[in-house]
Amino acid sequence: MSTSEDEQERELEALLELSRRGRAKLERLHEVLTSPGHYGTGATPSRVVYRENKLRLLRLLDEHGQPRAGRPAVLFVPAPVSRYFIVDLLPGRSFAGHVAAAGFDVFVIDFGTPTSEDRYADLPYYVDGLVRRSVRMVSTITGQPAINVVGYCLGGTLSLLYAALYPETVARLVLLTTMVDGDVQGGIAWVAHRMGLEGESYENPRLVPAAEVKSWFEMLAPGSNSLVGRVSDLWERLDDPAARLRDVRTMATWVDDVVPAPGRLLAEMYRQFGPGRNGLMKGTSTVGNRVVELAAVRMPVLSVSAEKDAIAPPEGVDAIVQVVPHAEVLRLPGGHVGIVAGRTAASLWQRTVEFLATSRG
Amino acid sequence: MDAKAAKDSSLVERWIEDQREWQKTAMAYMDSMVKNDDFLVHLGNAMRGSLLAGKPYPTAPAAGAAAPPAQDAPADDRLDRVLFALHEMQGQLTDLRLTLEELRNGKKGPPPTMPAPRTASAKARAPRAKPSAKAAVGKARPRRPARSGKAGKARG
Repeated sequence: MSTSEDEQERELEALLELSRRGRAKLERLHEVLTSPGHYGTGATPSRVVYRENKLRLLRLLDEHGQPRAGRPAVLFVPAPVSRYFIVDLLPGRSFAGHVAAAGFDVFVIDFGTPTSEDRYADLPYYVDGLVRRSVRMVSTITGQPAINVVGYCLGGTLSLLYAALYPETVARLVLLTTMVDGDVQGGIAWVAHRMGLEGESYENPRLVPAAEVKSWFEMLAPGSNSLVGRVSDLWERLDDPAARLRDVRTMATWVDDVVPAPGRLLAEMYRQFGPGRNGLMKGTSTVGNRVVELAAVRMPVLSVSAEKDAIAPPEGVDAIVQVVPHAEVLRLPGGHVGIVAGRTAASLWQRTVEFLATSRG
Repeated sequence: MDAKAAKDSSLVERWIEDQREWQKTAMAYMDSMVKNDDFLVHLGNAMRGSLLAGKPYPTAPAAGAAAPPAQDAPADDRLDRVLFALHEMQGQLTDLRLTLEELRNGKKGPPPTMPAPRTASAKARAPRAKPSAKAAVGKARPRRPARSGKAGKARG
């Protein structure tokens, strides 16, 4: 065989290998798309213990299908503008499940998906209404006058406001990627600010469509909405094992599966906490007719920021020590979602359990 | 020469086999498209670089939607106002029920966890337009003239 023929053969072999790899990826994709995925529910067995409007209060159950009665209560407060199951993503990848397994009676708020009438929901409706009643319900069920509260992102903001207004009902407070200093540049509020968006009306609010909510987050990560970039990323990932792809699919389900947002809530939060307003740092924030005094937050507080957080810049999160001086600040490697549900999230889960367990007994 | 022929044949056979496998892959996709109503949704998501399960990828907002349009709430939003007022009342009833249970059990009442009543001065500080059910039915318009404010986006 001549050298030329050898080269031809090698080229053909290479093409054949390329074809085989491409086909294998497509078969893997087919397998992922036709197998049951995670369709937006919590991974840990739970029981609905309270419903109000779209809200469901879930109580996690143990391996025997029973609540962990008698254990210290922990209430997870996720952000109301995204899906709750980020804190209970997959078996073995569940923040709430991990805390429950560590010996706590865990409750999780699912704010649900707002519909047209919910555009009138404002800060008092969430803080004085949904969060307060959820805490009250947990206290009634468990018989514990003060419970632990874990808030994530905007859910953390609601939790902080609640803790300042009703400090006697909160034993310990954990805030995850919760912006306190609205003047720190970057993050979702600054995107709106810099873009010069007209903004939402408080008096005549609309239900902000899910696609629009999604577009804000895509603005924070330029290129993340690029079709070529996203397909390229997916194509590379198709070399991963199917089990890993299932994890990716679950995370993608959360990231891509946004919910509409009540315009009145967004308008009020921007007016109070956004750039230039910065009500939490200035001490001017209110919930309804009550001024929020962060000095009232005297329970132990753990505030966690993420080094690569594009949604809630870590400097704006760590600023909590300026208004709640006794707060313990922890900055972890990772992004906004990754520190809670990513592969390295276990360190956050463990630190949270240690923090919550300190005053147990 | 025979060895070379065998090798060539092997390569050709493998090419043919590869083509057959491609046909199988294509047929599997076709089969899923026909038999599984959701498969096209999943495939569409995958082609957007997303593995979003269960529902279509959120459609991009229309051009200019990033800047919210001039407030175009429905001319008659009484139904939504009434519905939302009912949701608020549902919560208040829950508060009452919990308070009654606490009283029945001899526990301390709920004053520490009840929101304080709204006052006029506080209203001025934090303007709101939350109607009562009665007001919502009777007056289906904001209590004060609409004023557009800058708004931001928050998420968690």
